Amino acid sequence: MLDFLSMVFTIDFFYSIFRITAPILFATLGAVVVEKAGISNIGLEGIMMSSALFGSLTAYWSGAWYVGVLVALAVGIVLGFVMGFFAFNLKTDIILTGIAMNMVGSGGMLFLVRVITNLTEGRAMASTTSLITANLQIPAVHIPLLEDIPILGPILSGHSVLTYLAFILVFLTWVMLYKTSLGLNIRSVGENPNAASSVGISVIRIKYIAIAFSGAMAGLGGAFMSMYYAMGWSQDMVAGRGFIALAAQAMGAGEPLGSMLAAMVFGFAQAFGIKVSAIGVDSNLVSPIPYVVTILGLVVFALVARRRAKHQHSAAALEKLASKA
Amino acid sequence: MAEARAAAENSVEEYVVQMKGITKVYPNGIAANQDVDLFVKKGEIHALMGENGAGKSTLMKMLFGLEQPTSGEIIINGEKVNLTSPTVAISKGIGMVHQHFMLVPSLTVAENMVLGIVPKKSGIFIDYKKAVEITKEYSQRFNLHVEPDAKVMDIPVGMKQKVEILKALVRGAKILILDEPTAVLTTQETTELFKELIHLKEQGYTIIFISHKLNEIMEITDRLTILRGGKSMGVHNTRDVTKEEISRLMVGRDVVLSVQKDVAKPTDTVLKVRDMEYVNEWGKKMLDKVSFSVRKGEILGIAGVEGNGQKELVDMLFNLNTPNAGTATVNGENILGLPQRKIREKGVSLVPEDRMVFGIAGDGTIEENLISDRCGSKDLNRGPLFNMNAIHDSCKKLIEDYLILCKSGKQKVKMLSGGNIQKVVVAREFSNDPVLIIADQPTRGIDVGATEFIRKKLVELSRSGIAVLLISADLSEVMELSDSLIVMYGGKIAAYFEDTRELNDEIMGEYMLGLKRQPEEQVRRVCHE
Amino acid sequence: MNRKRSIVFSLVRGLAAILIALAVATLLIFISSEGESLAEKLAATGDALRQLLIGPLFRSSGGLNTKNLSDILAAMIPTIFTGLGVCVMFSANEFNMGAEGGALLGAFVAAMCAIYVPMAAGIHVVFCILMGAVACGLMMLIPALLKTRLGVSEMVCSLMLNYVVMYVISYLMNAHLSDKSKGQIQSYPFESTAQVPQLVDNGSKLSWGFVVAIVFVVLIALFMYRTRWGYAIRMIGINKDFAMYSGMKVAGVIVLAHVLGGVLAGMGGGLEMLGRYETYAWRSLPGYGWTGITIAILAGNNPIFVPFASFFIAYLDKGCNLMATYCGVPNQLIDIIQACIFLFFAAEQFLSRYRQRLVVKSTQEELRLKAASVEGGESNA
Repeated sequence: MLDFLSMVFTIDFFYSIFRITAPILFATLGAVVVEKAGISNIGLEGIMMSSALFGSLTAYWSGAWYVGVLVALAVGIVLGFVMGFFAFNLKTDIILTGIAMNMVGSGGMLFLVRVITNLTEGRAMASTTSLITANLQIPAVHIPLLEDIPILGPILSGHSVLTYLAFILVFLTWVMLYKTSLGLNIRSVGENPNAASSVGISVIRIKYIAIAFSGAMAGLGGAFMSMYYAMGWSQDMVAGRGFIALAAQAMGAGEPLGSMLAAMVFGFAQAFGIKVSAIGVDSNLVSPIPYVVTILGLVVFALVARRRAKHQHSAAALEKLASKA
Repeated sequence: MAEARAAAENSVEEYVVQMKGITKVYPNGIAANQDVDLFVKKGEIHALMGENGAGKSTLMKMLFGLEQPTSGEIIINGEKVNLTSPTVAISKGIGMVHQHFMLVPSLTVAENMVLGIVPKKSGIFIDYKKAVEITKEYSQRFNLHVEPDAKVMDIPVGMKQKVEILKALVRGAKILILDEPTAVLTTQETTELFKELIHLKEQGYTIIFISHKLNEIMEITDRLTILRGGKSMGVHNTRDVTKEEISRLMVGRDVVLSVQKDVAKPTDTVLKVRDMEYVNEWGKKMLDKVSFSVRKGEILGIAGVEGNGQKELVDMLFNLNTPNAGTATVNGENILGLPQRKIREKGVSLVPEDRMVFGIAGDGTIEENLISDRCGSKDLNRGPLFNMNAIHDSCKKLIEDYLILCKSGKQKVKMLSGGNIQKVVVAREFSNDPVLIIADQPTRGIDVGATEFIRKKLVELSRSGIAVLLISADLSEVMELSDSLIVMYGGKIAAYFEDTRELNDEIMGEYMLGLKRQPEEQVRRVCHE
Repeated sequence: MNRKRSIVFSLVRGLAAILIALAVATLLIFISSEGESLAEKLAATGDALRQLLIGPLFRSSGGLNTKNLSDILAAMIPTIFTGLGVCVMFSANEFNMGAEGGALLGAFVAAMCAIYVPMAAGIHVVFCILMGAVACGLMMLIPALLKTRLGVSEMVCSLMLNYVVMYVISYLMNAHLSDKSKGQIQSYPFESTAQVPQLVDNGSKLSWGFVVAIVFVVLIALFMYRTRWGYAIRMIGINKDFAMYSGMKVAGVIVLAHVLGGVLAGMGGGLEMLGRYETYAWRSLPGYGWTGITIAILAGNNPIFVPFASFFIAYLDKGCNLMATYCGVPNQLIDIIQACIFLFFAAEQFLSRYRQRLVVKSTQEELRLKAASVEGGESNA
């Protein structure tokens, strides 16, 4: 047993948690902000797929990874606006809009990758993995002092630029939500849209900003997937990470920090699965672990939330009664 | 009408608001306003009156840019405007205090005050200190006391309203629309509000005051415009008209309030509530040892200003909430904590206060709404399938008996008017052989015809041996309909009157506002033990 | 708005949605079409469009292509079932996305029963399908109970379950159940007693499953509109508070909706598996669940319209396949066309100005009529 533990919980295991968490974390932050505005975006999955494709293609054409990342970001924002147009202007149900986005993200992108590569490369390809070479990978950053600390150094240093960006964005998202007028507007639109519109806040504009933000985050997540994590776009590569982000948002009670921790739980579960399959367990047996963990996480969260609500209610009631008496 | 319009145009300068020939047709086909005129002078308090559904709110929504007129024009300060959104309306100096507060509960008063016009530090960050300062400054200038740092969900209703008024003023409003501002206030709060409004008027502000309470209108307004059925019934100087005239213009005939009824001959106790207690989630004691009984063949009324425990009491009786202590039985059997199906099986019917939330499924047909409580009954089913003929026939009968105005039973309920929707609810609740009917605000916000019909039905049913518990904030309704009556104040039964005929508004008012309280033994008589 | 006008409006709207989707498709086909000059590309685009729109039913000679027609009908079998399942779940306002994993699970369980549980001809196939359906119904208990007991989002939960089901089945096939003598991962062949008999013998795989599907359309339509349980599901979908207040067993009915939806999806998967294949070799989620959602939306959650929506999608799918075969346009174009139709079809405000004009017209007519009758009444008096 001890052997097993020492084989699993190695330094590169902990390192990989961050690597695995990053793309989910991006999408999770998108989910957090968009939910604060009162919108459930289940199209994150499809946006990740789409920006992953365009990111990898443009990186290949331009020969520069950052062009790929910027294009992925732009594609994410554009798709966010497209979703917004249908959901807010044409009043398509937001869930259905998300499903349509996911159709575009899976089958639609496979169509496009074939058509585009047929035009540019002369043959229809079903993935871009052969195009993304090591020099197009999002570069890693070695942090001078941190790097030298034993154990902690190799775990925390040497991640990709985007990995660090994901964790920095957790803080920035919190600042945006709670310290800026945009955040105030987003929260009020989500909580009471009538109140917001009655003071002249354009509810639809705020909703557009929120959904575009979620698109941008999913776009970064997609770029991370195709240009760092998997090195190239292929079908089903996002594998439900956009959906897991929604679960992480729920588990984190919709707050940036809590949702980050929930995303890391998923990262932990998947890192564990990968490690275990590396030492000989059938990968198909460990692959469902993250999804099972997510369901369990939602259950635990629901139980805790219920108990807390009950506890607070009775405690507050008793306290007030006591103070009166 | 044309003359009036011409006259108005001759003296354009004195009017700050001119709405001419306004017509509004909603997407569902309801014509809420038809060729309505509204002219408001600078510095006056102008009442906009009419029954619920007369089109007051629609007209004001158009003035505040929340809706756009189908035809007609709006002129503010002599300038023709196109109010496409509240933002535009606000920029024209119009502010609105909505009936349902437009506040964000989790934000503080100061944050709500500056929402949309947030003072900023270094361009992006919220300058919260400044927000508090602004709040304090306006609060003092207009003598409207609020607590800047309190979260809106924690402050009382009266203060919420002040926040709303301040919000409009901070945004530079010179014309204030108040949509039924007193509906949620206590008498004291109302008095205070009126002082504040007159203070504002003296400073040159114009106020449009929506209400259907005659006394308030007579007390505070200078002129009034009356709407009826979406059409204007003209504008009058308040001092030149009497209450009776206004009433006639509003409802189109003299309201016959007195319901003909025999003296009740109550027999056995049906509903028995004993020592019910409930502390709500904010720690406020909403029900305090409430005990009473309702007997066969009588209507027991519960009067009181809203928010004194009536809603909580009904919630407990229909298991929409759980009391901390106490018992409730129907014909000797417990009903607390039972699923609604079991409560209904014991013969309890409820006409819910909020009919759009509990009373109906708007996208369902009238028939589907009429059978919701009896969809499993033998009469309506044949084996596993519905007996469609039986359903159709019984619904047809209910539609006829309850005078539900509709094209057919297959029409969607949400397409009906408020009064007809309530008739659907009442038809269902009254027709399932109840032993006890709980009628919670049964005629709120519906037209006179439907109101009269429902009141008559309630009396008729009680005389046929059904126990009726009537909860109503409409004082004249609860006094006219009830055989005996209790008054709730602060979660307690403040008074019990065995015979309502000896009562008048003055006595009731004293108990409702908590100035007086009957001794325990006297209240206890409502238990009939 | 009167009945005639609202029907006209629905038709115009549906057609407009389809036209927009086709316009988008044409654009994409044009981009992807082969050809040196503009004229050549246009010709190729025209050719591809002909394949997409007319190809599924008519031969180039003009005659009816019965083989293609039976292919289309065969393709409808699983999606009618998932469409029905989604109708039931969405009617209760429950966004369960598990039909995808459900169809996979139903197919897998049916296949395993077909291999490992020998039975007499006649009952074997029925047993296999039922077991698949039951397995899927049980699977839906998870999101249903978590939703009703704990308030866990049924949508997120069912999405996660799809992946769990897929990986667990992959593991079982990989490790224990595959026929090791074959190069790829596939099961041993089904017992012949477990195969769904074919309706026609032209290789279309149009099995009796199609008849069963149509029977279930009628059954589910009856269930939803003619029984108290279907009624309860619909009322809960419209207004849950109202249903509770009316005395319905809300939680129980919601669980029923999930389980019934699951049973239908599982049945679709099972019929597809045993009607089309001889061994189990699915490697990933089949896509029938998502298509089922599209179909339910097009059908407005009304079971009666499900076969029509299903036919429509199967027709387009066939068209896309023909385009892929004969014109080199990748057949995933179907997903983009579906997404477009889907988005515009579900768009409440799509053509809302046109609708508002019709409403105003109707209301004005009504007011005129009323005014006329009042005047008539007065002059009589």
